[in-house]
Amino acid sequence: MSPALEILLVAVLTAAACALPGAFLVLRRMSLVSDAISHAVLPGIVIGFLLTENLQHPLLLVLAGASGLLTVYLIELLEKTGRLREDAAIGLVFPALFSVGVLLIAQLADQVHLDTDAVLLGELAFVPFDRLQWQGIDLGPRALWTMAGLLLMNVLLLWLLYKELTLATFDAAAAAVLGFRPILLHYLLMGLVAVTVVAAFHAVGAILVIALMIGPPATALLLARRMPTYLLLSLLIGALSALPGYGMARVLDVSIAGSMATMVGVLFGLVWLLAPETGLLARWRRHRRQQLDFALDLLLLHLLHHEHQPAATVERHQDTLPAHLNWTSERLNIILAEGQRRGWLQRKGPEVHLTPAGRARATQLVETLAPARSP
Amino acid sequence: MGRPRSYLLTFGLAGILLLLTSCQATLPREDGRLRIVATTSIVADLARQLGGEAVEVTALMGPGIDPHLYRASEGDVTRMQQADLVLYNGLHLEGKMGDVFERMRALGRPSLAIAECVPDSLLLRASGYGGVYDPHVWMDVRRWQYAARCVAETLARMDTARATFYRNRLTAYLAELEATDAYVRRQSATLPPDRRVLITSHDAFRYFGEAYGWEVHGLLGVSTAAEAGTADVQALAEFIVARRVPAIFVESSVPERYLRALQEAVAARGFSVRLAGPLYSDALGDPGTPAGTYTGMIRTNIDTIVEALRSIATP
Repeated sequence: MSPALEILLVAVLTAAACALPGAFLVLRRMSLVSDAISHAVLPGIVIGFLLTENLQHPLLLVLAGASGLLTVYLIELLEKTGRLREDAAIGLVFPALFSVGVLLIAQLADQVHLDTDAVLLGELAFVPFDRLQWQGIDLGPRALWTMAGLLLMNVLLLWLLYKELTLATFDAAAAAVLGFRPILLHYLLMGLVAVTVVAAFHAVGAILVIALMIGPPATALLLARRMPTYLLLSLLIGALSALPGYGMARVLDVSIAGSMATMVGVLFGLVWLLAPETGLLARWRRHRRQQLDFALDLLLLHLLHHEHQPAATVERHQDTLPAHLNWTSERLNIILAEGQRRGWLQRKGPEVHLTPAGRARATQLVETLAPARSP
Repeated sequence: MGRPRSYLLTFGLAGILLLLTSCQATLPREDGRLRIVATTSIVADLARQLGGEAVEVTALMGPGIDPHLYRASEGDVTRMQQADLVLYNGLHLEGKMGDVFERMRALGRPSLAIAECVPDSLLLRASGYGGVYDPHVWMDVRRWQYAARCVAETLARMDTARATFYRNRLTAYLAELEATDAYVRRQSATLPPDRRVLITSHDAFRYFGEAYGWEVHGLLGVSTAAEAGTADVQALAEFIVARRVPAIFVESSVPERYLRALQEAVAARGFSVRLAGPLYSDALGDPGTPAGTYTGMIRTNIDTIVEALRSIATP
């Protein structure tokens, strides 16, 4: 496999592995947990170093993972009290843990190049150069195996507990009544998040993991109405942002992870704008359509009301209509054109007349608007 | 879900198209030159000095880039993939990237950590910690000679046809380093020993201090995660006032705001210290400027230091 292909494959696997727990995080308003963990692992790393005096020792990663678990445990503990919102719980826990790490470095290890970047965070670009070998056979990039393992773990656990987790996410009280122990489920989910985040940080770096955990589910949430569609779309959108992201990195010769994270944002922006029904554009067009419908109905009623009055010729004249309805003549022309297109209006010289269909519509409107008057 | 899917399909296809159109085949090497990828500009300069026109050197980190803040680009992957040899400083200067190079070597792809060519007995330990050493070995020109020999040996071994060529270049370069070393000693000697006090923003000059008889203090430690504590600033300010140090030095790859805090702490004690520099510590200056080569950088640094400290301190 070429390095480019390996990088892409790892990115797609990372996207899929992160999107699944990320989807639940977004629903639980805990999106920033992944960002919080990226800071809160510092004390684990420092303690690992103080114990082993070696920057490459695996204990540093194990303790980083333990810090991640401690972070989500504390957040969940605070949130469970019900006296703090999710965001405040996150905002309290990770700065506290991060500062413990900074203090430890300043007191005990400030001559050592010791930070999260140097010890934990991987780099997607170097994935093809860090390979696994078994008895002289090349097994491909190490990160490929890590991410595939994480994906498998996440798919398996979420598949087994799908029903319980979904219920606990949307209605913890109902889940408790049904005997599902929502608190336990939340701890389990958050544990899954912590393990995924720390292992993925190690394989591909922080920014990509944070972006892939939040961006694709947030985008999917704009499109999906049902849980299975939402999860599936999260997976798909995550994987899709990897492709143009890589292309952009190649064309501009910039960071691959950075470009992919940018594409996650761009995709969200596009969906925000263009999504059918919920997109900004669709909403704007619907709004325009409603305005036009309303104006047209107003015109029909106006014409019907004056149809048999002596002043009818004046009232339906194209020069008096703008003043009476408080429209500009350009607006009148747009509305007239729409009315003619729908077959409700016809123009006779300078006058505007209702067609039979238009009269029927107007009469029906009067009946729906003022049912009391019609008998 | 028909319509969203078609949007997604469009994005996906656009991505795949982008990818396909931008894929290029690996170019074969037609001129027989060794392709070398170096991490920092300082390592790259050593490779150019020793390899001359027989090698093609690419530095991953440009001038003025703090190695801690480097992020690999897409092109770097291709450059590393096509490299015959990867040269890096080592001793954790490049962080996790160094681990990657180490594993590449284990899998048979040539890479060399040049700072690790310096004998262990000459390496300075990060205070108190076992296997962790200060990576800034290039600050002492004599220690850098070990690195030079190591690189020349590696080149001669990989490109046996040009072995003599590399050895001749090494001899010439060692002489240049010798002259540079002598120059730093001469310049240092123009100041009385008690005025040889170098205060910089981070701890990059310990080898320099040890080799040329300077007392060095860095405001920040080696790690970028640790901030300067108030006590550190106060202690260093006391020291500057007590020793009447006229100038402290900014580094080209480290922001100067920490030193400004130190300057103000000194001013609060009724003494004034000048911000001088910049000194080049982790990266060379721009190509074409005097500090654009390693020897030029060392000479520029000592000139800047001596010049700034020669002036008598004024309270």
